Amino acid sequence: MDKDELVEYFRTQVRQDPEVPSAVAAIRTLLEFLKRDQSETILGLRENLTQTIRRLEEADSSVAVSSGGELFLRFISLTSLEHRDLSQCKKVMVERGELFLKKISLSRSKVAKLCHTFIKDGAKILTHSSSRVVLKVLESAAADKKRFTVYVTESQPDSAGRQMADKLQNLNIPVTVVLDAAVGYIMEKVDLVIVGAEGVVESGGIINKIGTYQLAVCSKAHNKPFYVVAESFKFVRLYPLNQQDVPERFKYKADTLKAVEDLAEEHPMIDYTPPSLITLIFTDLGVLTPSAVSDELIKLYL
Amino acid sequence: MPGADKETDLTERIEAFLADLKRGGSGTGPLRGSGEMARETTYLLRRITAQARWSSAGDLMEIIRNEGRRMTAAQPSETTVGNMVRRVLKIIREEYARSRGSSEETEQQESLHKLLTAGELSEENFRQHFVHLKANVIEAINELLTELDGTTDNIAMQALEHIHSNEVIMTVGRSRTVEAFLKDAARKRKFHVIVAECAPFCQGHEMATGLSKVGIETTVIADAAIFAVMSRVNKVIIGTQTVLANGGLRAVNGTHSVALAARHHSTPLIICAPMFKLSPQVFTTIFYPFPGSFSYCLPVLREILSKVNVHCPVFDYVPPELITLFISNIGGNAPSYIYRLMSELYHPEDHKL
Repeated sequence: MDKDELVEYFRTQVRQDPEVPSAVAAIRTLLEFLKRDQSETILGLRENLTQTIRRLEEADSSVAVSSGGELFLRFISLTSLEHRDLSQCKKVMVERGELFLKKISLSRSKVAKLCHTFIKDGAKILTHSSSRVVLKVLESAAADKKRFTVYVTESQPDSAGRQMADKLQNLNIPVTVVLDAAVGYIMEKVDLVIVGAEGVVESGGIINKIGTYQLAVCSKAHNKPFYVVAESFKFVRLYPLNQQDVPERFKYKADTLKAVEDLAEEHPMIDYTPPSLITLIFTDLGVLTPSAVSDELIKLYL
Repeated sequence: MPGADKETDLTERIEAFLADLKRGGSGTGPLRGSGEMARETTYLLRRITAQARWSSAGDLMEIIRNEGRRMTAAQPSETTVGNMVRRVLKIIREEYARSRGSSEETEQQESLHKLLTAGELSEENFRQHFVHLKANVIEAINELLTELDGTTDNIAMQALEHIHSNEVIMTVGRSRTVEAFLKDAARKRKFHVIVAECAPFCQGHEMATGLSKVGIETTVIADAAIFAVMSRVNKVIIGTQTVLANGGLRAVNGTHSVALAARHHSTPLIICAPMFKLSPQVFTTIFYPFPGSFSYCLPVLREILSKVNVHCPVFDYVPPELITLFISNIGGNAPSYIYRLMSELYHPEDHKL
């Protein structure tokens, strides 16, 4: 499969279904690549896959695509350990891949089911930017006949918060857009903070739209619970200790990375929130404390 | 017909247990300790397994789940009942898996690893019938009962590692576990204990009497004096009613204040709690009022009593950041490790009965 065909397939997936998480679209693309791949050995297959993943990351530089890709590679390794013969192996891989995709398409609903019980009647919720998982959670809570109000940060530079506000208004949930700078101001009014995540790192911290760290620090200062909702395929094997440790390739959009010479002039699109500021992480594997995340990753990779 | 007799006997016992639970909550029945509650529940569950009519593991689990739901509905604040039901459900699942011959590594825990390597969409419906399942389950429940019997001793055995000579220990109210813990240490070490009386029932007084009977130097203080005395205290050792899934506690009212005072003075806060108190719930703001009315403790206000609302919550929530160590019958653990212990004790599908 040609590299451009690949990227085109990925982009089509995202276009056809705007609700699909980018990691899932990436895994679908990789599975398609696997079906069409002609390599004779498992090593050759792995190499091709690694190159493909790199190509996908060039097209869409978010953490989710990277974590989806690594998960798929791990999936290949685990399956290839069981079956020595390549053709047999490939058949099993394709089967399991389809099954895996089916399971993770249900992740968002599982997360929503877990989290909406934490939203009490009359709660005031603060969220950041636009997250489809958070939207699903709020949708379930509203369907459960709970009354609550939502504050969304505008989230510059792309004003994603406004899109979130529109979607929430369509669900008849009272919503107010606040400036990014007004987070400290509004924090005393809110009862809890719920954010999504682009990636959940090994320490239990998260990588999310820029401004999340600020939100977390403020909520800690006011003693408000800070909940993160993320599907399990977003777990990534990074261990940043501070903002500088997050790799450059995630911080900026793919086009920026290709076009611009001096990245120091650009504004980063994401930041890192350390686990000490997070109360609980809701995933399709259950309600986890940040320390449980590394446990999950160890179970998978070791 | 002997079968029918057994059935009615069983239903009678279950009804008696439920009535007992309800009464315990309204303050008219005997106030039972959670250890006793756990034992009673397990006896009842063993009886249900032995006497109820079931043909497959799925049926048994359905019966136990229904009874469990009724029991927790009768007395929601008594979480040990629900915990024991969940333990027994996990036992049934394990015995079923063992009878089927599938290795215990096909853990039913959700994990990323399992998501990736699962062969088929495993729809485990527990419908297969096994001859020895009943005997195995009853044996496993008996093991659970032995474990329950030994919890206080197991915790008390660890006392010498934590209490040193000439230390000042603070405790709150009355906890049988902490009492046994301190008494065990007193056999070899000499130390002081300060007991906060824990109004309005002042159970701290009984605790102090019990401790001084074995020769421990005890002082009783009023709840308001906790912060003032905290600077002289080396360790705070308390019991709790429930340990929540995030490592927090639901303990007797006043414990949060003690925890904050201890944090302020950087005094370690140690919780002695057996494993059956570990509950898969996470902190919710349900407010359990004290049983009984409060007119007796407000004699001055008798004239205006009709116009006064007295709120007296029974339990407090203590967040995990304030806790240093949990000592349980399986050893000492940090609060951040509680989620792991929980996944060993209960199956995720049983978290909600």
